[in-house]
Amino acid sequence: MNLPPKTYIIEAEEAKSMAKSKNLTLPQLLPSLIKSAQNLANPPISNFAVGVVGLTSDGRIFFGGNIEFPGLPLHHTIHGEQFFITNLAAHAAGAKLLYLAVSAAPCGHCRQFFQELRGISDTQIVITDQPQENPDYKPFSSILPHPFGPFDLLDENTPLILEKHNNQLTLKDGNFIIQDEKMCDLPNGFSDLNAKNEEFFKTEASAAARGSHAPPKDGNFINQDENTFDLSNGFCKLIAKNKEFLKSEALAAARGSHAPYSGCPSGVALMDCEGKVYKGSYMESAAYNPSMMPVQAALVAYMVAGGGGYEKIVAAVVVEKEGVVVRQEDTARLVLKHLSPKCGACVGPTVFLSKGGIIRKEGGCV
Amino acid sequence: MNLPPKTYIIEAEEAKSMAKSKNLTLPQLLPSLIKSAQNLANPPISNFAVGVVGLTSDGRIFFGGNIEFPGLPLHHTIHGEQFFITNLAAHAAGAKLLYLAVSAAPCGHCRQFFQELRGISDTQIVITDQPQENPDYKPFSSILPHPFGPFDLLDENTPLILEKHNNQLTLKDGNFIIQDEKMCDLPNGFSDLNAKNEEFFKTEASAAARGSHAPPKDGNFINQDENTFDLSNGFCKLIAKNKEFLKSEALAAARGSHAPYSGCPSGVALMDCEGKVYKGSYMESAAYNPSMMPVQAALVAYMVAGGGGYEKIVAAVVVEKEGVVVRQEDTARLVLKHLSPKCEFRVVYCN
Repeated sequence: MNLPPKTYIIEAEEAKSMAKSKNLTLPQLLPSLIKSAQNLANPPISNFAVGVVGLTSDGRIFFGGNIEFPGLPLHHTIHGEQFFITNLAAHAAGAKLLYLAVSAAPCGHCRQFFQELRGISDTQIVITDQPQENPDYKPFSSILPHPFGPFDLLDENTPLILEKHNNQLTLKDGNFIIQDEKMCDLPNGFSDLNAKNEEFFKTEASAAARGSHAPPKDGNFINQDENTFDLSNGFCKLIAKNKEFLKSEALAAARGSHAPYSGCPSGVALMDCEGKVYKGSYMESAAYNPSMMPVQAALVAYMVAGGGGYEKIVAAVVVEKEGVVVRQEDTARLVLKHLSPKCGACVGPTVFLSKGGIIRKEGGCV
Repeated sequence: MNLPPKTYIIEAEEAKSMAKSKNLTLPQLLPSLIKSAQNLANPPISNFAVGVVGLTSDGRIFFGGNIEFPGLPLHHTIHGEQFFITNLAAHAAGAKLLYLAVSAAPCGHCRQFFQELRGISDTQIVITDQPQENPDYKPFSSILPHPFGPFDLLDENTPLILEKHNNQLTLKDGNFIIQDEKMCDLPNGFSDLNAKNEEFFKTEASAAARGSHAPPKDGNFINQDENTFDLSNGFCKLIAKNKEFLKSEALAAARGSHAPYSGCPSGVALMDCEGKVYKGSYMESAAYNPSMMPVQAALVAYMVAGGGGYEKIVAAVVVEKEGVVVRQEDTARLVLKHLSPKCEFRVVYCN
């Protein structure tokens, strides 16, 4: 199967023609895509590459691979299945997961995390490294009988992953201007904002790029065409320009966050050295520990969008409620400081409060 | 079942007589102990108390309850089953887990962590909140079919939890004196050291307790009966006296650490305001994320030994290898700073 090297999503039309050309049904196509999925993995600790491919009710195919982080404790690991679910959550809101192929038996942690998808019991799964030649699909319930799940703790009407979340959050930062008031009307709460702001983005990125490497002629920090170079990575000005957008993306991610167990939604937005912004939502598990941390979710978005190398991440914003029972700030800071040391030095995760809190702190250019 | 309020272990003799008095077999006894297990839980976030009770091949009964930490991310949560396994690992080295009762269906994270016990597929499990009146035991394999486990990554001879680990570790700290060279010969690597040092311990703790709350009369930091008060918690002198023991306990815990996937064993020792030391070993899962962090493991030891309140933890030592692929230091510091802000925190590297 000759897919481009890093394929994370196949749209419905292409999926259909791919299947047709191989004389397969869409479900039958998935196992043939497993090797491509494994190529997305980056597991330098275990060298055990896990590939995940799934088919949604709207005919699209999504991919996931496991990501390990040398130097961090193992609970920061992104499993292939979690990568897959995060990819799904960002792009397939409103759809259902019908078929799933995995390169190896999912671990219990992942079988648990899948419970956050309504109706997962009926999703058909095939494990492609099984001894038999052509392993069959079987219902997901068969690999986690008598599960512990969301409805052991929540009312059945509570939205789960892929369903619309209604986190009513506003930033307490007085200078913040919401770019698009409508951004909460979408199922996942955020994907339209990126498109609307793309022009804004390009303008800003070009402005920064046009700047020469000469220091400003006078002391005033005004000229759009200049980069200031207070920082070794040179991105101070770019970050300042995009600060509002970074915050709005992190807020959008927090609004789409699945956190019904703690009531502590959270979002992270990352900016790379080209000024592009990627965001991820915190997604909880009924079993708590398998929850997907927001930095990791944003890193998935970064990888899915073709971002390259953690050192290119130059700014990050974390949005969460202040002083609540589950707090991401310190852990997010720990992870980002480790993956992209200059990111922390420049702006640092900037935490803003929503609904009833106060602005706690804001990193500045150092 | 009238057990003392916080029972974490029932010895074989007592378990036998308990069962006899109720005219039950030992396996049949376990479900009746579930409520006691749930009383060990401290889940202020979910208010969902999970109790776990298990019977080992040497006839002992172990307990576990879930512990949640408001203010920390959810991955710091200790599940009832993980508490149970940590309790087991500290006290039942060499034994096998035969029967297990849980108050609710174990989550996938825990079903995964149990894979670190060799032969878990055959362990009999009963879930006591099931609809039927008297739910039956069934093999653990039935709740995690086709599991992902240790031997998907490791050679079958690699020691698992409850089996002797051979982490050859020594501290890089030149001043360190190993109290007992033999402490690595025990299956779990450390439980005998505690007994040997108990006398030393009592002496030291009494010495500290004898000290009045008056500052030293002169500048010299010598007198055994004085507490210095450089720190607001007043335990500076006690910590200094017990510093070597804290380090040796953390090293012992690291030596008993189950870390075959990363090759990064780690141990944590905590000291409370009475000078008592509790230790816990880092225990990995084949699936990585369900791994039991060493601070959490030490907190389990603290609770099992009857320790009360995190704020009474005044000193902590983390032992791990320096600059390796999996590092506990920053996360351990984050957790302890949150639970006991005045706690003195040290990392000692080993190789």
